[in-house]
Amino acid sequence: MIDEKEFIKELLSPETQNTAFQKLLSDYQRPLYSHIRNIVLNHDDADDVLQNTFVKVFQNLKNFKGESKLFSWMYRIATNEALTFLSQKAKLSGISSEDLQNKTIDNLKADLYFDGDEIQIKLQKAIVTLPEKQQLVFKMKYFEELKYEEIAEILGTSVGALKASYHHAVKKIELYVTSN
Amino acid sequence: MKTFKLENEPKIKSGFKTPDNYFDNFSEKVLQQLNEKEVKVIPFYKRNKTISLAAAAVIGFALLIPVINNYKANSNDLDEATLENYLSYHSNISQYDLIQTLDDGDIEKLGNNVTLEDETLEDILATSPNLEHLISEQN
Repeated sequence: MIDEKEFIKELLSPETQNTAFQKLLSDYQRPLYSHIRNIVLNHDDADDVLQNTFVKVFQNLKNFKGESKLFSWMYRIATNEALTFLSQKAKLSGISSEDLQNKTIDNLKADLYFDGDEIQIKLQKAIVTLPEKQQLVFKMKYFEELKYEEIAEILGTSVGALKASYHHAVKKIELYVTSN
Repeated sequence: MKTFKLENEPKIKSGFKTPDNYFDNFSEKVLQQLNEKEVKVIPFYKRNKTISLAAAAVIGFALLIPVINNYKANSNDLDEATLENYLSYHSNISQYDLIQTLDDGDIEKLGNNVTLEDETLEDILATSPNLEHLISEQN
């Protein structure tokens, strides 16, 4: 990839903006989709959140100071969008976020865009029992296979704290799967 | 019961799929949404429909003013001032000829239009000695 500062300049300049933004979309649409889908679980919701994420990215590009990497800045926006979406959806349905996620997992079996079996469903149910931060860390590490350094930059925590979070998450998940 | 160990198991995939060609059309969808959002910011005229209509009406009337003026100027009816000027300066008709043409109806109209106070009338009569014969004729 070309120098990031150069690329950001291209994104901000009216002459090169369209081409640069197209490149940004094609580079990041797949990883950001997986990230969002792992949080909201269902495809239609992930599609909505991913579109909103890119619109937000485009609208806020001029405020991007380059203090963090473009990659982690975009992941941060996607994470916030997905979490806000979930809490708004839960509020609208009048149930807790955990109940909403459990309901979504039950519906996964009938989802056209899900080809998991019992073990996937059980793993998702185990993840829902974790605190929000541990859920995020586990999904980013286990499913998305991001490095601890990358997760640390996205979530704004230390690598040490993340390792501890992941360790706790794995223990709780193993316990849940063993006893259910 | 067998203890479940994540690291001993084969990697469990999330199982999430996307519809076919989803990513092929995704960029287009986002760019379209961005264009729509940009357009939504602009339409000042939509919120001020009444003002725009009023402005259009005023401009319409303003454009009609020269047409109306032209129409008046081309009219066959002469206005009073023009007629008066013509009779005073450009014709051979004298004041006396003009008076001769007045009938009773015209005089009555004049009487209604010009209201003279008695004192003014007396002044005129007193200071115009050439009217004396008219007064004596009347008597």
